[in-house]
Amino acid sequence: MSTQAAASIPLGDARRVAREASVTRRRRGRVGQERTNWGTTIVLFLCALTVLVPLYVTISMSLKSTAQAVDGNAFSLPSPIDFSGFSKAWALTNFPVAFTISILVTAASVIGTVLLAALASYAIARNWDRKFFRYSFFYLLAAMFLPFPVVALPQIQLTGLLGLANPLGVIILHIMFQLSFSILLFTAFLRSIPLELEESARIDGATTGQTFWRLVFPLLAPMSATVGIFAFLASWNDFMMPSLIIADSSMQTLPVVQQIFQTQFSNNYNVSFASYLMAMAPAIIAYLFTQRWVMEGVTQGAVKG
Amino acid sequence: MAQRTAGRFRRVRIGIAVATAAAVALALGGCASAAGGPANITFFLSKPEAIPYFQNVVKDFNSSQTGVHVTLDSASSLSAGFLRGNPPDVGLLNYNMEMARFQERGALSDLSDMPEASRIRPDVQALVDQLPSYPGRTSVLPYSVAAESVIYNKKIFADNDIAVPTTWDELIAACDKLKAAGVTPIYSTFKDPWTVAQGLFDYTVGGSIDVAGFYKKLNKEGTAVGPNSSVSFEKTLQKPVDRMNQLAAYSNKDAPSRGYGDGNVAFAKGEAAMYMQGPWALGEIAKTNPDLKLGTFPLPMTNDPGDLKVRVNLDLALWVPEASDNKPAARQFVSYLMQQKVMDAYNAAYLGFGTTTDAAPATDDRITGMQKYYDDGRFYQGASKFIQLSIPTENYLQSIVTGANAEKTLSQLDADWARLALRG
Repeated sequence: MSTQAAASIPLGDARRVAREASVTRRRRGRVGQERTNWGTTIVLFLCALTVLVPLYVTISMSLKSTAQAVDGNAFSLPSPIDFSGFSKAWALTNFPVAFTISILVTAASVIGTVLLAALASYAIARNWDRKFFRYSFFYLLAAMFLPFPVVALPQIQLTGLLGLANPLGVIILHIMFQLSFSILLFTAFLRSIPLELEESARIDGATTGQTFWRLVFPLLAPMSATVGIFAFLASWNDFMMPSLIIADSSMQTLPVVQQIFQTQFSNNYNVSFASYLMAMAPAIIAYLFTQRWVMEGVTQGAVKG
Repeated sequence: MAQRTAGRFRRVRIGIAVATAAAVALALGGCASAAGGPANITFFLSKPEAIPYFQNVVKDFNSSQTGVHVTLDSASSLSAGFLRGNPPDVGLLNYNMEMARFQERGALSDLSDMPEASRIRPDVQALVDQLPSYPGRTSVLPYSVAAESVIYNKKIFADNDIAVPTTWDELIAACDKLKAAGVTPIYSTFKDPWTVAQGLFDYTVGGSIDVAGFYKKLNKEGTAVGPNSSVSFEKTLQKPVDRMNQLAAYSNKDAPSRGYGDGNVAFAKGEAAMYMQGPWALGEIAKTNPDLKLGTFPLPMTNDPGDLKVRVNLDLALWVPEASDNKPAARQFVSYLMQQKVMDAYNAAYLGFGTTTDAAPATDDRITGMQKYYDDGRFYQGASKFIQLSIPTENYLQSIVTGANAEKTLSQLDADWARLALRG
């Protein structure tokens, strides 16, 4: 950008531009050592605290003994360090089973959402001139305005009738509820992919299916990451749907089995925080390793193309 | 012709698709009931702290016989289960207004023909019928009663030379004496609205009037409840609520910002002499100070010691839903749970009182103070528990103790009651 601008300026002015640039540089401090913007740093520091403080409380609480956890000092360091909260939480929630089911439900929802939404969006975006596809797009979008609680009662009965009162039913519903928003993202993104690419594939003899799987779907990857992240968050954190849909309590997901820690009459902060920490850990660890892609993915929806 | 054939093929294909879908649905649905071996039933428990105890009971039951296998469940959504038509086969829940809805609509089966039903104390079984019930049925069997009254710190009482008050005047004198000695008489936790309703409000109202009788009349008045009805919150409860405010004034200064958890810790540290909580708080207090000597006494609201009564609620009640797939198996497990030794062990561990005529008396020092009132049938269910949850009773009471006009707030309660009665 700057080189382009400089090139278009007549030679005499170039010196003035250079001088101005050096002035700004001096104002900013020495080269390679930009002056710290204290205002922004403090704001960002405070923002970071809102994440770090609860995280600190979660970790320290989970390591406290029961007597220390209820004493009203959330910020005190655990002494002595007590791991019994973890073992109690592990046993009370039957952690391995609930965790596996949560993982399965989330993974299937993410994969299902990405595949179905991509397929539907491809069909819709490339047939936009046809009424059926256009209307089906609006129809699918309309689902975005239907929150689950509104349709909870009929959904409970329907899944019960169809023998889907289990994690499979939750997967189907998660995909369904995630579909409209994902299709919105995918169709917008698909419009920015030049049609000529597909035409060249056609000339090389690719069928529609081949064009999609070998050309379009890989090109959709950044948007698939975005859609996948949203689907992951929605599915992993969901409480209400699994709690209502899954009939067999031994097949419940993690957020639902953790509700036993929320009671009116007793406080077991160390056990509940140990359990929350174990539930949070996979997401946090996954984020540490994939934050680059997550950041790219989340901003993808905001800045199109 | 060709077109018609194509059309027929399509119809056949749709037919096959529908048939396949139906077959899949049937196969999936059949999974649950097709298993052989012992009859599988689910047992729903609402009390999280009692899970370890009942896990053992269930294990013992499963190994004691081969006909029935019980699975303990405490994570499912009960309403969704009833809606779907597969509720748990046996329920052991806190009995309250929410539970009464299932009972009122006839979703729970009649257990009156079980021999266990005849062992229940009639005055305890009567508590069930004080809330909306289904005519002609014994829908739930009371399993354990929690009795609530004033918890007091024995050491502080002894240090200040105070005897357990049995009349209103003695109570006020005790409070004044404590205050003069620089001790906070009552620890209150106004931040949690339910603690106001459960403690201060229910104790003062229950000690002053006949709670069940009041609500019976109030239900009869229905939409007419208001300034001109024979009974109303504003008219009948005015005096108890004034006394509630009088007592609330003896609370710790920071009561409006203290919650239930803070109260337990502060009381365990000996920061106040009295605490209006139920037996569930005793276990929480023991977490901080297991050696604290505590006792309980019913809040005196009149100057006649004969009027003393304790607040009770059906902490746990047993039921078998109409929609259960296997009622005989469910009843077999109910009988097992209703064995006296199982019930007594539960009550001893969780500071409850027995509901049967042959129940063992409480042995824990902290609650034995209430035994004689409970045995004599001198108890009432909390006044705040008779009001539908759609009326924010607890919040109204919280606003009264934190300074709102009591008369206005009670007449608001009357208006809400009448409106709800109109809605049916």
